[in-house]
Amino acid sequence: MARYNILVTGVGGQGLLTLGRVVGNAAILAGIDATIAETHGLSQRGGSLIVQIRLGEGESPLIPRGAADLVIGMEVLETARRIIYANTNTRVAMNKFLWPPPLADYPDLEQVVDKIKETGVKLYMIDANRISENVVGSVISANMVMLGFAYAVDEGLKKLFDKKHFLQAIERVFRGKAVELNKKAFEAGYEEGLKQT
Amino acid sequence: MGTGWSALTRKDLISPKGRTVLLMGNEAIARGALEAGICFAAAYPGTPSTEIMEALASVAKDAGIYVEWSTNEKVAFEAAYAAAMSYVKSLTTMKHVGVNVAADILMSSAYAGVNAGFVIVSADDPGQHSSQNEQDNRWYGMHAHIPVVEPSSPRDAYKLTKAAYMLSEKYKHPVLFRSTTRISHTRQPVTFEQDVPVEKKCKGRFDRDIERWVLVPAHGRKQKKRMMEVWRKIAEDEGVEPFIRIINPGMKKAIIAGGIAYSHVMEALELLGKKDEYSVVKVSLPVPLPYKPILRVLKEAQEVLVVEELDPVLEIQIKKIAYDNGVTTKIRGKDIVPINGELDLDSVARSILSFDGREPIMPWKPLEPLKLEPPIPARPPVMCAGCPHRNTYYIVKTAANKAGLKDPIFTGDIGCYTLGYEPPFHTQMTSLEMGGSIGVAHGLSKVVDEPVIAVIGDSTFYHAGLPPSINIVYNKGHAVILVLDNQYTAMTGHQPHPGTGLTAMGEPAVRVPIEKLLETMGYKTYVINPMNVRESINIVAEAFKKYKEGEQIAIVSRMKCALQAVRKARKEGIRLPVYHIVEDKCTGCMVCVKLLACPAIVVPKGAKKPKILTELCVGCGLCAQVCPFNAIEIFKEGSPDWLEAWK
Ligand SMILES: Cc1ncc(C[n+]2csc(CCOP(=O)(O)OP(=O)(O)O)c2C)c(N)n1
Ligand code: SF4
Ligand code: SF4
Repeated sequence: MARYNILVTGVGGQGLLTLGRVVGNAAILAGIDATIAETHGLSQRGGSLIVQIRLGEGESPLIPRGAADLVIGMEVLETARRIIYANTNTRVAMNKFLWPPPLADYPDLEQVVDKIKETGVKLYMIDANRISENVVGSVISANMVMLGFAYAVDEGLKKLFDKKHFLQAIERVFRGKAVELNKKAFEAGYEEGLKQT
Repeated sequence: MGTGWSALTRKDLISPKGRTVLLMGNEAIARGALEAGICFAAAYPGTPSTEIMEALASVAKDAGIYVEWSTNEKVAFEAAYAAAMSYVKSLTTMKHVGVNVAADILMSSAYAGVNAGFVIVSADDPGQHSSQNEQDNRWYGMHAHIPVVEPSSPRDAYKLTKAAYMLSEKYKHPVLFRSTTRISHTRQPVTFEQDVPVEKKCKGRFDRDIERWVLVPAHGRKQKKRMMEVWRKIAEDEGVEPFIRIINPGMKKAIIAGGIAYSHVMEALELLGKKDEYSVVKVSLPVPLPYKPILRVLKEAQEVLVVEELDPVLEIQIKKIAYDNGVTTKIRGKDIVPINGELDLDSVARSILSFDGREPIMPWKPLEPLKLEPPIPARPPVMCAGCPHRNTYYIVKTAANKAGLKDPIFTGDIGCYTLGYEPPFHTQMTSLEMGGSIGVAHGLSKVVDEPVIAVIGDSTFYHAGLPPSINIVYNKGHAVILVLDNQYTAMTGHQPHPGTGLTAMGEPAVRVPIEKLLETMGYKTYVINPMNVRESINIVAEAFKKYKEGEQIAIVSRMKCALQAVRKARKEGIRLPVYHIVEDKCTGCMVCVKLLACPAIVVPKGAKKPKILTELCVGCGLCAQVCPFNAIEIFKEGSPDWLEAWK
């Protein structure tokens, strides 16, 4: 009964918690049990942030290092930082967005991408910020672009969910005109993902 | 991104029985309390407890209950306790260190007891995700003689909240409900077992029971006897479901686990294929530990492992039970289970293997950390783009130079502004507990020569800043009090406070002006709007000169939290201005980068000049006022009324 483990990583404020809630609601719709460990408080102020989604029966909410089946990275440096949660079979869906912390020196995008690829994980990349800007007018829905993208490239997610589960979950989590915009963002990410599989 | 969406739709929390809703542990506790029939709830925010009261506040009117954000935990406790003295079921919630603030009344409440169910939620923070320590508040139960109920998951928290109210009603005694970050902040589908009752007792009655409520020594001695009798009976009688559950009884090896550790144990045993080798005791009432079922397990098993997060609260009690009953079963615990930080599946699986005398070979194989050059930089939290605290810190440091205030010591406090400890500001040199900035500043001013500036947030000032401020003037200390008034309790998620003009339930409220309080105490008080950088520097420099001349000085810096300004702009269709750096004018001096550290200003890899990420800039204009070459200009004008968003 090994559970399906999704590690979501990024920077506080990038919509990671919302992404987790959409997956959680999709799980209810798909009849799958889930725990979603969020991070609140200090790290929401632009710090490193992770959300740990575990699908299937069981209640321990933390993903052991090396046990992530899927990593959804909203930012490049944060994806690199959390690669220790992955193993060689893990799929990594990464937003091609490198956001350096203030006043710090940092490795460049090409180097990080090369090193992630060297580990043997299956890396898929997308410019979710740009797609979100094109689709909804700002980067605010990059999280849903990433979720749609991850769903398209990850076999494990496809086995567990139908696409409609996510679209219905978006209806539950968002309100007003945000519902349609976020569905569009999800679809746009999904389309991009299909091109890469 | 992400902000501005409701955490949970109000309807979900009060939806009828049978519904399954994705609830965070804190929301599950709120639902449990609603089903138990509370009508009164009071709290002061604090991570990881805050969402309990936020959830209740969002449904207060629909559910017909009263909810408030009190000025601190002691005040909240007193209010909720008074309801329970008067036959109205009530709830108070706080983070673990909040219990320290409420400890005085906590102790007394155990002596006097209650007339209706009363639950105190303490949300502990193993691993210190957002706290100054990781104290284990199960000790408070021991210390105060208040039983502690502890859940193992959000779903369990929902059920056990109701059980905690039953326990409290049965013994007419307060109950401490201990959650932890990983329960409070984990979501799980929760199926509602009951409806929220429509009828509940909201009108109280005060019994003038002087022997009970007036704890003069003679009365206190009598109440102590009552309390100890309750204590004895709980340990004697409550070793039953849902407080103690034994899974797979009768094995030679047993694990006794409480709280989240139980969830890790069950999954670890499954993964290691050892489920059938062990009896497992799930402890949901760790204090006082009911001894009967524990003794039974100690007698049946040859070896027992106690798995609990943080301190050996269960282990000590279990060893005492064994000793008192002459049982010699081998009991292991903190000699193999980590005592620092939080437990997880990995550490618990390792502990079990070590208990078994096996090599810790794990079913998961993590990748090595990436070797990058330069390495991945740490990403500590930072003040948001446009944060008013950034303006104030820049102003205060510049004004100190201008006024010749040499090497000031900045004592600090707890809130978003604590991030001023980081470069480039260094305007927080202590941060110990809430309100500490002012008390510590007073003591320092008595023993050191440097000027002392106490930096405190508005919510923190209302919480614990008043007594030490009075103390400075009374005892002739000499420190500047600087109150950073962003109109919200921002750090914990923007709860209203006595300066906001709103209550927890969204009703208009009076504002208690901080500057008036300080003036009344005897401080010469200056109020600045730090958005006006130059004007503010002049005022603060003037204040510092007066301070050097020996006057008692306070400064209130008032500008709304940037996240709230952005929220208001979004809601009201106001467009905020956006700045950019004009490349031809920028000399690459990096003053804006080095003095402000705004997350919207970045230096692209290899570039000689900084750049503003326009999608992150909220148009506060600080960088434009700081740039010595006037190279930072408006890129997109705001709407004519954009300043309204900041009001
Ligand atoms: C005793 C105690 N209660 C609650 C908290 C949680 N907490 C941390 S900072 C803070 C308040 C911050 O508000 P404010 O002083 O207005 O500063 P801001 O975050 O708005 O800058 C709270 C409630 C705590 N650390 N200690
Ligand atoms: S939440 Fe508000 S007060 Fe806190 S860092 Fe952000 S802008 Fe500043
Ligand atoms: S105006 Fe300057 S300091 Fe203010 S948010 Fe924009 S980039 Fe940051």
